[in-house]
Amino acid sequence: MAFFDPKGARVGEMFIAGQNIPVLAAPRLQRRGFLSGIFDGLRSLLAGMAVTLPYVLHPSRIVTRQYPENRATLKMYDRYRAVLRLIYDEQGRHLCTVCRSCEKACPNGSIMIEASKGAVTGKNELKNFVWRFDSCTFCNLCVSTCPFDALEMKGDFEHAVFDRRLLVYNLNRYAGPHAALWDKVEDEEQRKLLATPVAPYEGPVPLAGASMQGLPRRAGSPKGDL
Amino acid sequence: MSFPIPMTNLAAASHFGIKTLASRAASALPGGLLESALYVLLAVVWIVALLAGIGLALIYLERKVAGHFQCRLGPMRVGPHGIFQTVADTIKLLVKEDFVPDRADRVLHVLAPFLSLTATMLLLVIMPLSPILQVADMNIGVIYVTAISGFGVMGILLGGWSSNNKWSLIGAMRAGAQIVSYEISATLALLVVVLFSGTLQLSRIVESQAEGWWIWRAHGVGWVAFIIYIIASTAEINRTPFDIPEAESELTAGFHTEYSGIRFAFFFLAEFINMFLVAGFAATFFFGGWMPFHVGGLAGFNAVMDLLPPVAWFGLKAGAVVFLIMWFRWTFPRLRVDQMMRLEWKILLPVGFVNLFAAAIVVLYRLYFFAGR
Repeated sequence: MAFFDPKGARVGEMFIAGQNIPVLAAPRLQRRGFLSGIFDGLRSLLAGMAVTLPYVLHPSRIVTRQYPENRATLKMYDRYRAVLRLIYDEQGRHLCTVCRSCEKACPNGSIMIEASKGAVTGKNELKNFVWRFDSCTFCNLCVSTCPFDALEMKGDFEHAVFDRRLLVYNLNRYAGPHAALWDKVEDEEQRKLLATPVAPYEGPVPLAGASMQGLPRRAGSPKGDL
Repeated sequence: MSFPIPMTNLAAASHFGIKTLASRAASALPGGLLESALYVLLAVVWIVALLAGIGLALIYLERKVAGHFQCRLGPMRVGPHGIFQTVADTIKLLVKEDFVPDRADRVLHVLAPFLSLTATMLLLVIMPLSPILQVADMNIGVIYVTAISGFGVMGILLGGWSSNNKWSLIGAMRAGAQIVSYEISATLALLVVVLFSGTLQLSRIVESQAEGWWIWRAHGVGWVAFIIYIIASTAEINRTPFDIPEAESELTAGFHTEYSGIRFAFFFLAEFINMFLVAGFAATFFFGGWMPFHVGGLAGFNAVMDLLPPVAWFGLKAGAVVFLIMWFRWTFPRLRVDQMMRLEWKILLPVGFVNLFAAAIVVLYRLYFFAGR
């Protein structure tokens, strides 16, 4: 057809940048004959129409989902990113070691981590994992950068609220050590002291770019009224 | 040359002596102005009802067909399967702000969509929907059709010119160039049918196809004429692949960039009714109009076909062509301006002339099928 076929093309040489470089000589463009052009055109138009018609004739190919009606059977794809979650193991313990990789990786400062020295373990433990849903762009950088696979993106997307300030979450259910640190504590009585429950985020949410209470303002965190 | 219609064909036979609304109004004129005026009023109401009804149906259909071509469902929310979506959209358009841009030519800007819609309405007048559903049946029908369909672009040109917007102007000029070019090919294709049927009157053209539609009967000449007609008229009504007057990737929305509210709705409506008109005229000229599908010699089959009323036959044929045009739209990419001009002046026009010449030979030597007598 009209495409350029390098196999049959004439090979020449061109003096480029001090050396002779073999080049393909482009063939002169051949205009098709009048009638063959018409018939080729009609044939290709019919071929195109044959491609599109089956989509109309087979409604099973429709990909649209009727969302509110199919809520009971709705299944989101694994790769769909709608919300950030901490991963918990079978005993309900998170895996976050407070290395702050995610916080540093976040391009717009939507993650703020608060840590404290654990009373039992004496190590840095997660106190608050604050995630700002209102400024998150779901770029997945925090998940892919986490060295301990403690974070994941899930597909639950129904988070509509009437107040933007409700879109700030504490992702951790408890303040305390991660699973590996937890296992090192062997005394049953001391284990009970490890975790303190954490409520969903209740602190103030500055809209005008001020730092959040108790959390340092970071470069890149949102400025101005979002 | 005209064809005596065999009286065995009931649908055709009933057509003798029918009176269109226009002829009724004319014959009632000696009796009194009032009666005549009532017929005219009835015609106007009928045309407006047709305009609104077909417009609503076609816009809904277009969106559904578009959806299904793209693996979507189309409108599903307003009413069952979204059948009231167009009604909702119409109400929305009617209550929108009627806007005339700053330093636009106000008079022309307001006038343009009405001109566009007027041409469409004038064409609906002559469309033979069935033997009894035709408002006016004039003896120069084909000339009227070509003249008025060229007049429709007047509104587009005025709208683009008066908008005081370069995109609108470019779009309008493209529409003008397009219709000047493609009108010729469409007319050449229609002339083939005029040669075969020997009349310019639309009702007689339909009657002349009682023995077989012109697209079958003419040794391929009819097919070529139909293909030329459908290409040229798709270009005339500015639909994809010939929608360069409103090419949104280049011209925002072309000639109706500056239109909103009801006057945009008029342009929109005119465009969709024009699609119906093109399909209707294609059915009238090539597919036997409201004639039922008959196969010679199969009396039982023909009787079954006669069960469907003529207006349903017309609707089926026009609907099939409408679907074809929509199919084009959701399959083909848009032509560039120079490609479009090349297609018309270097391909369609010479092919159309040769086809007309071939048709003349076919008619001269009576080579067409089912010639009978």
